[in-house]
Amino acid sequence: MPTVIFRSPDGTAHQVTAASGTVLMQAALAHGVPGIVAECGGNASCATCHVYIDPAQTGPVGPPNDVEDEMLDFTAAERRPTSRLSCQIRLSDTLDGLVVHLPEEQV
Amino acid sequence: MNTPTTAAPGAPVVELDLDELRRDPYPAYAELRRTAPLAWVPSVGRHLLTRYDDIVHAEKLPEVFSSREEGSLLLRTVGPNMLREDDPDHRRLRSAAEPPTRPRQVRDRWADAFEKTAHDLLDRIAGRGEADLIADFAEPLVAANLALVLGLRGASAEDVSDWSRAMMAANGNYADDPGIWLRAERATRAIEDAVAEAVTAARSEPDGSVISSMVHADPPVELSEIQNNVKVIIGGGVNEPRDVFGVGAWALLNRPEVLDRVLAEPASWKRVFEETARWVSPIGMYPRQLTREYEIAGVTLPAGSRVALVIASGNRDESVFERAEEFDVDRPHRPHLAFGGGPHFCMGAWVARHEVSALAWPLVFSRLRGLRLAEGTPASDDGPAAGRLDGWVFRGLTSLNVTWQAA
Ligand code: FES
Repeated sequence: MPTVIFRSPDGTAHQVTAASGTVLMQAALAHGVPGIVAECGGNASCATCHVYIDPAQTGPVGPPNDVEDEMLDFTAAERRPTSRLSCQIRLSDTLDGLVVHLPEEQV
Repeated sequence: MNTPTTAAPGAPVVELDLDELRRDPYPAYAELRRTAPLAWVPSVGRHLLTRYDDIVHAEKLPEVFSSREEGSLLLRTVGPNMLREDDPDHRRLRSAAEPPTRPRQVRDRWADAFEKTAHDLLDRIAGRGEADLIADFAEPLVAANLALVLGLRGASAEDVSDWSRAMMAANGNYADDPGIWLRAERATRAIEDAVAEAVTAARSEPDGSVISSMVHADPPVELSEIQNNVKVIIGGGVNEPRDVFGVGAWALLNRPEVLDRVLAEPASWKRVFEETARWVSPIGMYPRQLTREYEIAGVTLPAGSRVALVIASGNRDESVFERAEEFDVDRPHRPHLAFGGGPHFCMGAWVARHEVSALAWPLVFSRLRGLRLAEGTPASDDGPAAGRLDGWVFRGLTSLNVTWQAA
C-alpha cells in the first residue's frame, strides 16, 4: 500500500495510505485532504484537482496524457513543469513515498 | 423501480408556492437550509436537498443519485440523452461530444469567431445609445456561438434561440399545456433536420465541431443519439451564458466602484464570472432519482425517491459563504456549485467562461462609453429589481435596459 504526502502551501503535511490502483485524487478526497476540489469527479474536465509533483519524483509518475496536458493550461494556479491532474494518476507501489504539493487555488 | 410520489417516511413536508419560488426562491431556501435541509415539496413533487455539503455529497455518488429519472419532462421533450444517463453510456456520449468544448479548443478554434460576432452585434447597436443587453446582445451572441460550436452550419442565431425557448418551456411544462408540447415538437423536428444535414456534411468534411466530433467518434455515435444530445445542448446552452452575462453586468452597473476596479484590472473578470454564477446560479436545481435506499440530511430515502439538488441554495449556504446573499468579487474563494459536479460537470463551462468573461463583458464595457442602467431600471438588487429576475429552475434577467453615449 503506497503512502503519499500532500503538502499544503502553508507547509502542512497530510499523509495518506491507499491501495495500489487507487486514483491519487480519490485518495485525497477519501482522506479529506484540503485543496483538492475535483468538481468533475475525475473526468479531466474541470482542472480543479491540480497538484505539483515533487521535482525529484516526476520520472516515476510520468508525463500528463493529452487531454490532461490541455486542461493543465487552464488551472487556477500557475502551471509548472511538475503540474499534473491528480485524477489522472494511479497509485502503485513504485510511487510509495510520493510527495505532492497543493497549489494556492483550484478554481 | 417504483417511484414513490410522496414524502419519504420521516421527511418534513414543506409547502412552497411555485410563483413565489419563481419570483424569489432565496428566502424559502434559507428557511429550508435552517429547518429542513431535505424536505418533500408537494408542488414540485420532489425532495429538495438544499445544503452545500449534502449536495456535494450527492453529486459525488452518481451510482446512488442517478440521472436516469422516470417520467422526466426532459426525456419526453428531447428523447434519451446524456444528461439523463449514467455512466458508462453517459461517458461514451460525453467523450464523443466534449473535445470541441475543452478550453484549448475554445481558445484556438472558436475565440476569434466569438469575438467577431460580439463586435458585429455591438456595431449594430453602438450608435443607438440604448439597448436591452439581453435581447439585443447576449442572447444572439450566445446562440450564434452555440450554432458554431455545435456545427449547425445552416442554423441562424434566431433559430437556435427559438428552439431553445420552445424546449425550455416543454421541460418545465408541469401543467401539461398541449400548445407548449406542440411548439417543442416543431422545434425538435427542425433540430433533427438541421443535425441530419450537418452530419452528412461533417462526414465528408470534419470541422472540429461537436457534431463532427460525435460523427467521427470511436465507437461512432448514431444519428438519433447525436440529434437528441444536440437538442439537450441547445435547450440549456443559450440561457446559461446569457444569464450569467446579464446578472453580472447588472450587478456591476449597480456597483460603480466595483466596476471601476474590475475595469482597471481585467484579470478580475474571471472572479466576476465565478461570483455571478455563485450568486444567482443560472441553473437553480436538477433532478436525481435514488437507485437504492440511502440516508442523507437525516432522512432515509427509499429507492426510487426523487430528489432535486438545489444548487442555487447550496451556493447561498452561510456555512460555506459568509454573507452569502451579497455579490462580492473579493470573497475568499470557495468552489461554487453552479456548474454541477461529478460526471455531469457542465460541458459548456469553458465555452461560457470564455465568451462571457474574456469577451462579452470586456467588450461591452469598453465599447459602450458611459454605460449605465436606463431610467426606470431599478438601481438595487432588492425590491422591484426582482421583477426582472425570474425563475427558480433556471434564473436570470428577463431584460437589461441600458443607455450610453452614442458615438
Ligand atoms: S477532477 Fe476534474 S479534472 Fe481532475
